[in-house]
Amino acid sequence: MALVFLFLYAPILLLIVFSFNKGNSNIVWTGFSLDWYQSLFQNRLIMQSVYTTLLVSLLATAIATAAGTFAAIGFYSLRRRPRAVLNTVNSIPMMNADIVTGVAMCLFFVAFFTFWGDFSAWFNSVQSVVVLPERLTLGFGTLLIAHVTFNIPYVILSVGPKLRQMDRNLVDAAQDLGCTWMQAFWKVILPEIKPGIASGALTAFTMSVDDFIISYFTAGSSSSTLAMTIYGMTKKRVTPEINAVSTLLFATVLALLVVVNLREARAERSGRERRPSSAARRFLDSPRGKWAGRAAAGVLTACFLVSVTLLAKATNAQPVVNVCSWGEYIDEDLITQFEEETGIIVNYQTAESNEALYSLLKSGAGDYDVIVPSDYMISQLIEEDMLAELDYSLIPNYELIDQRFKGLTYDPQERYTVPYAWGTVGIIYNETMVEEPITSWSALFDGRYAGNVLMFRNSRDAMATALSYLGYSLNTTDEAELREAFRLLRDAKNRGVYQSFVMDEIFQKLEGGNAAVGVYYAGDYLTMLENNEDLRFVVPEEGSNWFMDAMCVLKEAPHYEEAMAWINFIASTEANLANMDYIWYASPNREALEQYPAYYEELYGEELDQETYDIIAAPTEVLERCEAYLVLPLETRKLYNDLWTELGI
Amino acid sequence: MSKELIRLRDLCMAYDDELVLDHLNLYINDKEFLTLLGPSGCGKSTTLRIIGGFTAPLSGDVLFDGVRINDVPPYKRQINTVFQKYALFPHLNVFENIAFGLRMQRRPDPADPRRKTKLPEEEIRSRVLEMLEAVSLKGFENRRTDALSGGQQQRVAIARALVNRPKVLLLDEPLGALDLKLRKDMQIELKRIQQQVGITFIYVTHDQEEALTMSDTIVVMDKGTIQQIGTPEDIYNEPKNAFVADFIGESNIIDGVMVRDKLVQMYGRQFPCLDGGFAENEAVDVVIRPEDIDIVPVEQGQLTGVVTNVTFKGMQYDIIVDFRGFKWLIQTTDHSPVGARIGIKIDPDGIHVMKKSRYSGMYGDYSSFSDEYDELDTVEPEEGGDET
Repeated sequence: MALVFLFLYAPILLLIVFSFNKGNSNIVWTGFSLDWYQSLFQNRLIMQSVYTTLLVSLLATAIATAAGTFAAIGFYSLRRRPRAVLNTVNSIPMMNADIVTGVAMCLFFVAFFTFWGDFSAWFNSVQSVVVLPERLTLGFGTLLIAHVTFNIPYVILSVGPKLRQMDRNLVDAAQDLGCTWMQAFWKVILPEIKPGIASGALTAFTMSVDDFIISYFTAGSSSSTLAMTIYGMTKKRVTPEINAVSTLLFATVLALLVVVNLREARAERSGRERRPSSAARRFLDSPRGKWAGRAAAGVLTACFLVSVTLLAKATNAQPVVNVCSWGEYIDEDLITQFEEETGIIVNYQTAESNEALYSLLKSGAGDYDVIVPSDYMISQLIEEDMLAELDYSLIPNYELIDQRFKGLTYDPQERYTVPYAWGTVGIIYNETMVEEPITSWSALFDGRYAGNVLMFRNSRDAMATALSYLGYSLNTTDEAELREAFRLLRDAKNRGVYQSFVMDEIFQKLEGGNAAVGVYYAGDYLTMLENNEDLRFVVPEEGSNWFMDAMCVLKEAPHYEEAMAWINFIASTEANLANMDYIWYASPNREALEQYPAYYEELYGEELDQETYDIIAAPTEVLERCEAYLVLPLETRKLYNDLWTELGI
Repeated sequence: MSKELIRLRDLCMAYDDELVLDHLNLYINDKEFLTLLGPSGCGKSTTLRIIGGFTAPLSGDVLFDGVRINDVPPYKRQINTVFQKYALFPHLNVFENIAFGLRMQRRPDPADPRRKTKLPEEEIRSRVLEMLEAVSLKGFENRRTDALSGGQQQRVAIARALVNRPKVLLLDEPLGALDLKLRKDMQIELKRIQQQVGITFIYVTHDQEEALTMSDTIVVMDKGTIQQIGTPEDIYNEPKNAFVADFIGESNIIDGVMVRDKLVQMYGRQFPCLDGGFAENEAVDVVIRPEDIDIVPVEQGQLTGVVTNVTFKGMQYDIIVDFRGFKWLIQTTDHSPVGARIGIKIDPDGIHVMKKSRYSGMYGDYSSFSDEYDELDTVEPEEGGDET
């Protein structure tokens, strides 16, 4: 029993405890502080998504409660058999996997938008009195529709039993005594089923706040709920800020559940006994009090409607740019700064990985203007004609990009991209756990640190380490070379060299001293170093992967000019300095690269040591032995897949 | 004679293709206490709901004071209802339950006749209190309805309906949920209230004793059709067919032949009776009430049979007697042991002759008495929710 509860609650407890941690580790306790809560409330992205979440949850709850209540009354008036059938039909969506609902809704919306596009084009062509918008996209509207849809069954489920408990003759009696049907509804049915409606509404609200999967598929690019934002943030690593926001979310849902349960318990208990009426209750029951109550409700509703309309107006009238990037990949002050300078609202979203971004774009669900994919994904997008050519005359800051980072293999003619940030892959090791400084990839394969090595859990990066070690190109399509690299990995795995195959779990393992050697990205090493000073980073002598993420604009981007303004702003030296300091990936901006040490010193009052700087922005001699990924031909990608499956991770 | 108030003309009603009312015709007089009596599913509750306006008939008309009111919604009819299980509003106290109808009422504003106003609060208050007094619930106005006993709830329901001063009060098995003693008291109480307020009561029940006690007129229904309309005395003494005879009280129903007026033949013997108007040698059903049979020595008996069962009932014995395979119920104060051979004698006024009907042969035999007979004493389960 106790063990069960331990299993259930220990992870949540841990999360809550570390939300009050002073440091930014989830393992090492460095003292109590509310810093993360403070930074949470200053985090624009989070506050924006809290607002979205509350708005969508409240609206969806209101609509679903009204619709669900009337639907339940409709069910109730049916005869027994059709009612039973409908009740079953009603409960299917609740039992159905969220992911199925989410995907289905996403597909449905996209299909409808296509149909709508054709229809409105035709409609606009035959008349000019009413102009219909031809392009509809996923956004707040679809998110709201989805939430209303999945909430309705819960309302029906909690109102239904109250109706069945109600004496069937009550409505007849009310009508008999002079009520029309609607009056009977307000005066008799509603007071009877009020507890059911209230708990239905609370359940619906909880579900709405709670939902991630369905929102993820229906929110599109311009809205992000809290759960989606948290998910986006975890892409990089779990920071205590996420702990803090998760704690708040947990507390909210817990509070709602307690309210629901208390209500039910009280309703059961008070079955027959008469509740003593408070003064407030008596006032509200008196005619004057009723009037006051109604007036208050009216004012509240009016305020709500006005704020919603104003918000809708505001978002409609202002120019907008939809950006999709990676989690924790921008200094958010830049967004505010950009909005203040240009008056363009930025919808900033994040995707999980290049592959996730790609499938989002392909499904038609990602309605972005600016995206920030990595080199090899850019090649693929260009190949598939999904990117728009940039108007470099609108991006004067492109001049500031270092010549080394222009005209790279993914965009040789400089038509589609402006570099965003770059970095290298290297070995991270714990100084106290190795005999001598590591310089070669051999440390990942020769078994010296067997059982203490962490390997990438994705095929491209893992294979790249082996290919580098063997001296082959990271972009080789030669099957023999690839098979050789694979054997190297497999043998090492079979000999027990690898403790595990990881992605972001590497933070915990290396920071906590649970592994000696790992392979990861340079910028992330610096984050780990903050929590464990024994860690060291090296780009092995055989060479490695260096990667570039660059800003691109999608074909048919709805806000092309705003996109240019955004790209130009981000390409500026000031923005690059801020980003470089925030994300610890290297800037492609020449001036920013030069000025960063001075910027750092001014900001933190201490000198930036050359070693750290070289890790952020690898010097040319290091870069020379590194290679960027290119998009691989389909055949090779298939081989990667097969080999990876064979490895059996 | 009082004037006609409600007329039902050719009413038909069906649920799921099952005919519930089959061309029903009925008129109801003003200030009459009329009872619709019949077993579950006979259509009595449906008839009541059609009069109340809660259910629309498939075909046929409902006339009120000569005006067709089929399309008038319930809240515009001058009719109020006391529902099965009362249907009191649980969220309101006794006072507000009774005041509910008055609060819904609007009447022309005396100052400006084009506008409608609510009833003044003082008037509502005095009418509710007056009503509470009339149903002996003075001082209960602030009680919650679920804190009242069944009989008190019953009276609140009656008060809630009557306070609106309807022309007709509909009562749908209002006493069904009460225990026997209370039921008897309420029967008298209801009759008293009806006489006091002087309006038409239309009362639905399956309990023949209730119907006999309170009604001016009883309408016996079965399978959606009216079997007989009449005063309680008519219905009891002159049942029209085997169904009515069996449903009202206890009856032995025997196949007979009407030899001629005032002479009926059963078991090959002729019995003098008071009935007439049949064809010569017409096959008939003969009803003999158990209390109209005298036990006499075998040699003096018009018929002789063997006692097969005796039940002591307090005031009398219920004896089952086998007359050539057909079992009779006889109620008598004399004890006869099981197995005894007895003779019986029936006075002419104890014999009632009926025309053959589709119910002939279905009732009036006490062979399977242990089942059927017992059942008659127990309260029937209330009618299913779907039928009402």
